[in-house]
Amino acid sequence: MALARQCALLMRLGCFILAIAFLVSNVPSAIFGDELLPEDRSIAEVVDHYVSARLKQEKIQPAPTADDANVLRRTTLDLAGRIPTSSETANYLADTDEYKRQNLINRLIGSPAFVRHQVNEFDALLMPDSKTSLREYLLPAFAENRPWDQMYREIMLGQEDDPEQKGALQFVKTRVSDLDRLTNDVSVTFFGVNVSCAQCHDHPDVFEWSQDRFFGMKSFFNRTFDNGGLLGEREYGLVSYQTTKGETREARLMFLTGTVLEEPEFSEPDDEAKKEEKKMLEELKKQKQAPPAPRFSRREQLVEVALRSGENNYFAKAIVNKVWNRFFGCGLVMPLDQMHPENPASHPELLEWLARDLVNHNFNLTRLVRGIVSSEAYCRSSIWTGDSRPDPDMFAVGSVRPLTPYQYATLLRVATANPDLLGTDQKADDVETRLGNLEIAARGLAQKIEHPGTDFQIGVAEALLFSNNERIRNELLRDSNDMLIGKLKKIGDTSELVRMATMSIWNRLPDPDEQAALVGYLEGRADHRDEAIGQMVWAMLTGSECRFNY
Amino acid sequence: MSKRRNWFCGSEEHRISRRGFLGTAAATAGSMSALNLLREPALAAELKKQDKRVILLWLAGGASQLETWDPKPRRPTGGPFAAIPTSVPGIHISELMPKMARCMDDTAIIRSLNTKDGSHGGAARMMHLGRRDEATVQFPDLGAVLARELGSRDSKVPDNVSFYTATEGRGNAVGQAGFLGARYLPMSLTTNSRPEDLARLESISDLEHKQRHELRELLSNRFIEYRHSNSLRSHNEAYSRVRGLMSSDKLFDISEEPQSIRERYGPSLFAEQCLIARRLVEAGTPFVKVSRAWWDSHGQNFETHLELVSELDHVMSVLLDDLKQRGLLENTMVVTLSEFGRTPQINASLGRDHFASAWSCTLSGCGIKGGMVYGATDEDGQTVKDGEIDAGDLFATIYMALGIDPHSEYYVGSRPIPLVHEEASAVTEVLA
Repeated sequence: MALARQCALLMRLGCFILAIAFLVSNVPSAIFGDELLPEDRSIAEVVDHYVSARLKQEKIQPAPTADDANVLRRTTLDLAGRIPTSSETANYLADTDEYKRQNLINRLIGSPAFVRHQVNEFDALLMPDSKTSLREYLLPAFAENRPWDQMYREIMLGQEDDPEQKGALQFVKTRVSDLDRLTNDVSVTFFGVNVSCAQCHDHPDVFEWSQDRFFGMKSFFNRTFDNGGLLGEREYGLVSYQTTKGETREARLMFLTGTVLEEPEFSEPDDEAKKEEKKMLEELKKQKQAPPAPRFSRREQLVEVALRSGENNYFAKAIVNKVWNRFFGCGLVMPLDQMHPENPASHPELLEWLARDLVNHNFNLTRLVRGIVSSEAYCRSSIWTGDSRPDPDMFAVGSVRPLTPYQYATLLRVATANPDLLGTDQKADDVETRLGNLEIAARGLAQKIEHPGTDFQIGVAEALLFSNNERIRNELLRDSNDMLIGKLKKIGDTSELVRMATMSIWNRLPDPDEQAALVGYLEGRADHRDEAIGQMVWAMLTGSECRFNY
Repeated sequence: MSKRRNWFCGSEEHRISRRGFLGTAAATAGSMSALNLLREPALAAELKKQDKRVILLWLAGGASQLETWDPKPRRPTGGPFAAIPTSVPGIHISELMPKMARCMDDTAIIRSLNTKDGSHGGAARMMHLGRRDEATVQFPDLGAVLARELGSRDSKVPDNVSFYTATEGRGNAVGQAGFLGARYLPMSLTTNSRPEDLARLESISDLEHKQRHELRELLSNRFIEYRHSNSLRSHNEAYSRVRGLMSSDKLFDISEEPQSIRERYGPSLFAEQCLIARRLVEAGTPFVKVSRAWWDSHGQNFETHLELVSELDHVMSVLLDDLKQRGLLENTMVVTLSEFGRTPQINASLGRDHFASAWSCTLSGCGIKGGMVYGATDEDGQTVKDGEIDAGDLFATIYMALGIDPHSEYYVGSRPIPLVHEEASAVTEVLA
């Protein structure tokens, strides 16, 4: 295990960097020159400036702003992970304050539901299709609006003996048995670059994606290992690989930008020392102790280099792009894992500006979220009546995004609860508690719904579940007093009944055609009205309007 | 040495990319619906694919090639069972399969699989996908690909059905639609032979059920009129299939079959599910998987195989015969496959262990030249001597036999992904 003596010296000198002249830049387009808008502008203003500029350039007239009820629903689903209650909708529609939308955003971001929803979204981002969750770590992190760079540091390097950081290590732990996957998942998740292609050959289209770079990235992880459920890192070991020309190379510590990090020399321990090491690790396993930290940690180098000024472009842009994608259903760079110079952003200056803003404001994710949803671009109607629909990356028309399992299951619970229990005349705290309970009650159903990926296709299993599973009837269509149907059955005036149903389920008033159709439906079934009410509620809940954020 | 995995990304270095002549359309085609437009299949091939089906008999845990298709009688590795001649001169199989021996004419045996992975999880996945999953691409499995290639979008019958009622190995052989999306996931039967949520609850009348669906459609149509997204379309397509699929519920009910047929198949669960599989393919389902577990014979290999191979022999021969009598065999392929075979070496518990370097599978019916053996192992079955193939080659063969070009591509974003890994090629010798 002994390292050469000069190692300590070298360490103190810090890492000497060989910078390969290379900068990540999405070349600003000629329209605006090289000047980004000043740093002191608001995010919303900047978003609208750049999005409008491109629309003008392409001579596209964007869709009008969505109506109030639509904006309220969209924003509430996006920030709190649920739909607004009947009362919230009525109040918002009646509100004449010119700042009502800003007030709404502030209220939602200040609510506990915002933190829970952020946790759900980031858990899905960090641990897609994984049975393990980072919730335990993410909850306190988002409760204090922990900066994203700090979260990244903790996810990469969390201390095993710190109860709060320990949970963050699940990200690495669930992937450490397959270093290729760990390498690629870190690259995709934190830097928006899929490097898997570069394993077997240099990518022909993207000069950046060389094998050197993939194996360089892998080198940050190759000494990391799992020891009885605790992470350790060795002080020796290199990644060697075969180039396409068949020569064998040893990878250097190379970040995506091409920057190479110097490291202290090490010597490969002999068999005797390795035996010793193995014995020590077995002992530590028994005692459930983490292996000792290395004097020089390769994994730590990745954190340092990725966050260094001048190198942090990838890190900042990747998260900006993912957050943008969450609210617009389309990233500024698509696909989300192809953020390299050969694949420019739809609005390069905007991405650049937002990344700079994020860095300047201490990687404050809440600030970014607040800014994006405050823009006009975020509020456009999703209805397009013109003849040719603009490409999604123009952001000219609102997107129609499938809800996540949590959002959809929570929506179904909130929509079918008796609206009186969530009314304005109730104590605000009680309503908040009830909404929280509905969210918890929704978890079971959420397990049965698939998480939407890119180009998500809803399968017939979901439609069959909603059509024929006992659970739907028992959880959503009961007619007890705490349920919407229980309340609707007691309303004699059919028009009033339909209005109440649409306010609860669709978070809006019915338009005259809908009103007429639904009233007609119920009145045509006067001899079994109660059953008809159940059918109507089912049809509204399972309709596309409830399945999507639009 | 770091492991070199074969991760294809449609680059020039691998093979001439089609992006050139497809122009920017391909580069911007993010949507799965555009996939088909990006293929240029010959019309003849398209027509050939019509009405093709596959029944996969999944022998979970690893069936022994030595007690089935590749016996080594009188060798130290051969075990107690003899080999018997078959209806095809020169082909011998294990004496545990007398019924299949009488009808080898429609079946091709492949004795030369070398798939290298001897772990249940990794190998089961590989034999479902025909390749390894990548870190960032989830590939669709055989069932999902065939549902997409052979099914119709608005099919009234399920287009991918998977029976797996045993618990052993179920988590390994789980259906995966990957980038094709949930639309192509299997209807999965794990508790009994009737699918979940396919039957109407008694608490609602058929009329009510129908009317609420109609109302749902009416309301959704209003909503989608001026809105657009691929997911949106899939949502309404899924609901539009519900009523039709519910009418296929009776396909899962073998009491609809004449007693004589049911008696021919026999009373075992595996037999019943194979009979349902026949009912499904007859009604137009492109892919059915029937799993039979408990082949993992680390101990008492010979008792285990005496029981399981006898059952397989009976059920498989009855199934092939039934399909043939109905004129379905020429359009239906029956595949027997495991995650791997078993060691020639017999261990101290009279068992055989996992073995992926030289093992067998069979293909029968549609597009297959029956009555032949492809590939060979050495006299003790330790290595492949002749005609070695991997999972990708096997999948390429299956696709070719069904009239699907195995090298056609799906686009995931701007990345072309061929149906089989790029070094795979079909075993043309077994194609009819």
